[in-house]
Amino acid sequence: MKILVAVKQTAALEEDFEIRDDGLDVDEDFMMYDLNEWDDFSLEEAMKIKESSDTEVEVVVVSVGPDRVDESLRKCLAKGADRAVRVWDDAAEGSDAIVVGRILTEVIKKEAPDMVFAGVQSSDQAYASTGISVASYLNWPHAAVVADLQYKPGDNKAVIRRELEGGMLQEVEINCPAVLTIQLGINKPRYASLRGIKQAATKPIEEVSLADIGLSANDVGAAQSMSRVRRMYIPEKGRATMIEGTISEQAAKIIQIINEFKGA
Amino acid sequence: MFGSADALVQLAIKTMDPYVAAAVHGLATGVAKLELEALICGTRRTALAIARWEHTPASVLTALAGVHDDAIELRLDKNPGTSSSVLSSLYEEANSKGKAGLTKLIAQHLNSGTEVLKSIALNSKDAECLLALSKNSAANAKVLAVLSARVSGSDLGVAIHKNIAQNASASAELLVRMFDQSDVYTQAAILGHANCPAWLIAKSVAREEVLMMRVLAKNRRVSKESLQRYAACEDAGVRAGVASNALTPVAIFRHLIKDQSELVRRELASRIDLSEEHIDALSRDDDVWVRQRIARSPTTPLEVLYRLAVDEVADVRRAVARNTMSTVHLLNMLAEDKSAWVRSGVAYQANASQRILSKLADDKDVDVLSGVANNPNTPQSILKVLVSASEADVRRGVILNKSATRNTLLPLLEDPYYLHRMLLVHNPNLQAQDKWSLREDPDFQVRFSVYRWAANICLKMPDTFLVTK
Repeated sequence: MKILVAVKQTAALEEDFEIRDDGLDVDEDFMMYDLNEWDDFSLEEAMKIKESSDTEVEVVVVSVGPDRVDESLRKCLAKGADRAVRVWDDAAEGSDAIVVGRILTEVIKKEAPDMVFAGVQSSDQAYASTGISVASYLNWPHAAVVADLQYKPGDNKAVIRRELEGGMLQEVEINCPAVLTIQLGINKPRYASLRGIKQAATKPIEEVSLADIGLSANDVGAAQSMSRVRRMYIPEKGRATMIEGTISEQAAKIIQIINEFKGA
Repeated sequence: MFGSADALVQLAIKTMDPYVAAAVHGLATGVAKLELEALICGTRRTALAIARWEHTPASVLTALAGVHDDAIELRLDKNPGTSSSVLSSLYEEANSKGKAGLTKLIAQHLNSGTEVLKSIALNSKDAECLLALSKNSAANAKVLAVLSARVSGSDLGVAIHKNIAQNASASAELLVRMFDQSDVYTQAAILGHANCPAWLIAKSVAREEVLMMRVLAKNRRVSKESLQRYAACEDAGVRAGVASNALTPVAIFRHLIKDQSELVRRELASRIDLSEEHIDALSRDDDVWVRQRIARSPTTPLEVLYRLAVDEVADVRRAVARNTMSTVHLLNMLAEDKSAWVRSGVAYQANASQRILSKLADDKDVDVLSGVANNPNTPQSILKVLVSASEADVRRGVILNKSATRNTLLPLLEDPYYLHRMLLVHNPNLQAQDKWSLREDPDFQVRFSVYRWAANICLKMPDTFLVTK
């Protein structure tokens, strides 16, 4: 039994940042990299299945990205993932979520897992489409925004609860293998133990080239993507105003705003 | 372990870790200092992160000021640890480049020196800078007076005077000068200021504006006759002020106890000079917050606490559980409460006996177990079990427990949560070798804490720190 977890190293911005000279992204100097928050929950869900199973379960984490991504993959290994795979080629720079989905799909075909987990979305780009594009390429059943999962290794069906608007849950039975995009809060992700971190430091990360998975530079990158970033910029400030004055005056102004809003 | 400040600095250089380098930077001199700075400024990305980090020592921030990078300077202007001398240099640079945004950050920085702030007060043409300066508590009375004189009579002056009226540094003289030129909001703020002269307060008690009366009703410098008048005011905020005023005569309490506004009764319930009769009346109040405050009061008689210990609202029962006057018998009763929130109140109680805590240690609720872990009365044998709890809050309780011995704490050096390992670096019950064992921790904040702890020892006791291994 094998669960493949697709993970991404995402970038968080500092309070003050600068846009790159080409205007397409933020200058890397101002980014702080870490494992995507949603992927932490996906990995934990896979680890829960592994740890509660009577049969052997292998958890493999896969990411598409440059060398720096190893740090996030090691974090996954430290938390208990059995193997880590990183796919990269400089030609993949600028790939959109659909192309990344295609790259992941080729890895998945080679790995032949029984389940694929991904985060609902990445915290930096928020397209929420990588996991779903993987399902599409694989032609597997999929479910998005999974807030609860009942699944035992070997089962040909899983019961999931999907989070909908208005606090509603939708209970769905899904055929396996399937691709599930996991929502925050489905579990409580663990901290890696010091022993786990030390062991992870010596574990190999399998570096996979495009050729290893039957792709070439012509299949990836911005040119092969269905969407391309035209520019990134900070919009002009909106209508928010700072309420000045003494404490009493600020309170009075807030009351006035509320009354105006209520039509009083 | 290291034997001297020099040895510690050399060890730090060998780690090639910029955060470790930052931790010992204050100890280094000459070439070693340059080597540390090369690590700290190794990449722009690292330098930016360290310039922004709130734990970065002032000496490192001073070194970073020498890089002359606009993005780094912005972070230094914002960092609360940046020294007065660096801010002074940055002010000169911001002035020469005409960067009002940076000057504003310096104007609001608590470490900015008086000369810099005075110069901003005299010369800045930017309204944002002047407004920021007027809120800065580091601006002394003279700076505020200069600022006030410069803007007086203008629209900007009105806004700046509002801020000065709330600035603790404002002098009595300045407050008086501003009073007559100000609107009622600013006047109310002036009357609430600690430096407001008594004669101005006395002169203002006849004012009928609600805002003024709310401020004055709380003021301990108003007469009992004025408090009597305010107690009959239609505005609940004014009456609540009277209820909270330590000088309010007891004779007024019996009216306020029956006040229609719960705000007033809540303030009254917070007092520690209530008679038993008043306490009894308030303990039967319909408002939960009133009963809760009485349940928490150290002056509440034991028989009233027993009654509140069976109150229908868990928050009231928890307040009894947290009351420092609650007896072991009462706590024993509350330790059986159906609400985990109440039991957790008992678990945190300084009066809880070992027997009660041993019983609560079998609880499944994380808040209860966290309280047991925190309580200095908890037997060591129980703390040793709780260090293996799956909930981080419970393990943190043991770390924060002043009675936890070295042997109890040692397993927690391997705790998965980095914050716990950082806390252990500052734990007085662990030995130096225990803390030093964390020097190669995977988390940069823990490594920084260990080296910073070691550097502080070198600074405090340069001749006595020993090599133990």
